[in-house]
Amino acid sequence: MKRSLTSAALLTTVALAAGVMPAAAQDFPTGDVAITLWTKEGEADGSFQYVQKLATDYSAVHPNVTITVVNKAVEVLREDFLTSSLAGNAPELLWTVADHVGPFTASNTIMPLNDVVDSAAYLPNSIAAVTAADQLWGVPISYGNHLMLFWNKDMVPEWPADSAALIEAAKANTDAAAGDYGLVFNQTESFWLVPFLGGFGGSVFAEDGITPSLNTEAMVNALTFLHSLKYAEGVTPAEADYDVADGLFKSGKAAMIINGDWTVGAYADAFGDKLGLGPLPPLVGGDFPQPYTAGSFYMVSKAVADDADKLAVIKDFMAWSTAKDQQVAMVETLRRLPTNNEAIADPIVTGDPFLAVSAEAVVHGIPQPTNLEMRCIFDSMTAGVRNLFASADADPAAIAATMQAGAEAGVAPGGECGPA
Amino acid sequence: MFDWNQAATALKDVGWTLAVIVALSAMLEVVLWVVLVKWRKARLALPIMLLAPAVIGLLVLYVYPLIWELNVSFTKMGIRNFVNPGILGLTSDPQIFVGLQNYINVFTQPVLKQTGFWQLFAQTIIWTMVNVFFHVVFGVLLAVMLNRRLRGRTVYRALLILPWAIPAFASLQIWRTEFNYQYGAVNQVLGLFGVTPVQWLSDPIANFAAMSITNIWLGVPFMMVITLGGLQSISSDYYEAAELDGASTYQSFRSITIPLLKPVLVPAVLLGTFLTFNNILVPFFINVNELETSDILVTALYRAAFQFSRYGFAAAFAFVIFAILMVFTIFYVRKTNALKGAYE
Repeated sequence: MKRSLTSAALLTTVALAAGVMPAAAQDFPTGDVAITLWTKEGEADGSFQYVQKLATDYSAVHPNVTITVVNKAVEVLREDFLTSSLAGNAPELLWTVADHVGPFTASNTIMPLNDVVDSAAYLPNSIAAVTAADQLWGVPISYGNHLMLFWNKDMVPEWPADSAALIEAAKANTDAAAGDYGLVFNQTESFWLVPFLGGFGGSVFAEDGITPSLNTEAMVNALTFLHSLKYAEGVTPAEADYDVADGLFKSGKAAMIINGDWTVGAYADAFGDKLGLGPLPPLVGGDFPQPYTAGSFYMVSKAVADDADKLAVIKDFMAWSTAKDQQVAMVETLRRLPTNNEAIADPIVTGDPFLAVSAEAVVHGIPQPTNLEMRCIFDSMTAGVRNLFASADADPAAIAATMQAGAEAGVAPGGECGPA
Repeated sequence: MFDWNQAATALKDVGWTLAVIVALSAMLEVVLWVVLVKWRKARLALPIMLLAPAVIGLLVLYVYPLIWELNVSFTKMGIRNFVNPGILGLTSDPQIFVGLQNYINVFTQPVLKQTGFWQLFAQTIIWTMVNVFFHVVFGVLLAVMLNRRLRGRTVYRALLILPWAIPAFASLQIWRTEFNYQYGAVNQVLGLFGVTPVQWLSDPIANFAAMSITNIWLGVPFMMVITLGGLQSISSDYYEAAELDGASTYQSFRSITIPLLKPVLVPAVLLGTFLTFNNILVPFFINVNELETSDILVTALYRAAFQFSRYGFAAAFAFVIFAILMVFTIFYVRKTNALKGAYE
């Protein structure tokens, strides 16, 4: 009797203890773990090297972990990730842009991270950028990704107060015969069209957030403005993709450039005190242009959910690489707005003049939609932008109508972005 | 800097694959030897043993993917139906089976954002005709010139074959850079002659011309070499006899050279047509800005599959392109009697 009571008491104690004591934390894997990280960060501005350094530093702390970093251009990353997921050999980790949430969630190729990440540690806007259907799909690395105006102070002394002043300053610095231009930007991507659409009061979606709204007066005005920069005003090169625009600005052959916050570090290194930056000037007949804001985010392949060791390593790596110390180092190296709340309050961030301006400029931006339909919007607008700059006789109204038709076909049932 | 660790890892992965293939081939040969030689004592045992690995390779790498693709073409596999169809592409999910709808959509819906099948087909025909025409003209011209006694002929031959010898990826990267408006050599050379720089990469007609220039540069050596071989097989007796009869150079060329070159040229033109029609590299690399006016059927197919993730649609599109080429081949071979010799 006494023995059975003792046993029962012991068993009861053990059972209670198991209920009230915290579960033992998952041990970090001790065996070899290999992770492949695809990143959109390129070598030109040193950001790829930064990501590689993160991987190397992490492996120095955890010698059994190997992180292989591979660079892919943004759209190539999206295409290749989908293809490799289909083949069953997708990379475990991505460092990419927020709008990839749409296609990756629609194709069910990334895993939700609600139970993997402490959302409270990050800037709420950055968490919101990768939250869809109440699920968190990414871990914020940097916030912003917004387009701004950069200028060489030797050529343009101060920020142009509006689009008329912008054109005037650009004309004063343009000598096409000598290969000098007043203003350069990527003429091949619709990301550079979006701010002006917003500045003229338009948006890519109707109020429901799904129906394309590209054939509007605002779009025609935005296309007309951009077209005039090249043909009527003659302040931009005849052809300029991202690399050409960047090269012209850095080499001093362009006075101003419209580019993203990801270039602040590289331009600050190139120009030092001669670099001016600020929001895109307000449009005559419109408002401040509204660039999309997003940032860089980690996303995790769905296949990782079945591998406890890899998941543990990835969870730890993401938390470590976005902790305050690493985020401050990112600010010092790349001059991008951090997302870690502690890092945001650090004097290195608050005291950096370039970041302060970048933080002011991001206020004019609007969050970039991340739903799948946005993919078709971008594709349709990009085709339209390329047609716009291809000819002096391009008709903005016709291009807007064609953009709308292309986007509608894409989001219709049976289209690549439409319902299943 | 070269990453030796990454290279070693890649070699290790490839090495394992190769080792498995070699091991499986060896096992296959052992089984075939036991069955065909020891047991059945088959007369054709040796040819079968020699061909078996290649046949199985073709079945695995060509036939199986074709069957898989054919079955996928009957589905609406895409980004919202992102499922691997499974063995032979036969999905068990009735929701994504759409029958022949993809084949209908190929002809009725835009393949790209704005461009439909018929415009792409017309662009492909123009692209093929222009390129094959200049391949043949320049190839035959250069071959005729090189077939003469010419000082430094060996050097000229080597230089003219160079475009063929350089890996296409490398030469296309260089050509793409040279067509750059600001920094490219082409516009800089044009500038020396007072010609206005051309927007090779953003203007539709200029971009098509840039693609054609590049492809003609790449394709002429092949046609030249084939033609040169054919010319060297023509007996000089014919030309001597024609000269005795008072035939002019043009008459000799038209009445002797062309007919006797036909058995060589016709298959070469057929091959050149196929290669040009299906050439994805040149249009893809030179059409940097993805102008839909510069796309041909196969580049549009690539974009439909991997940029727009319309896998089922793209599979149907691929078979439509295959059918076009099959019809063309049958028609061309019958019309030109290409399989008959010149002496029949």
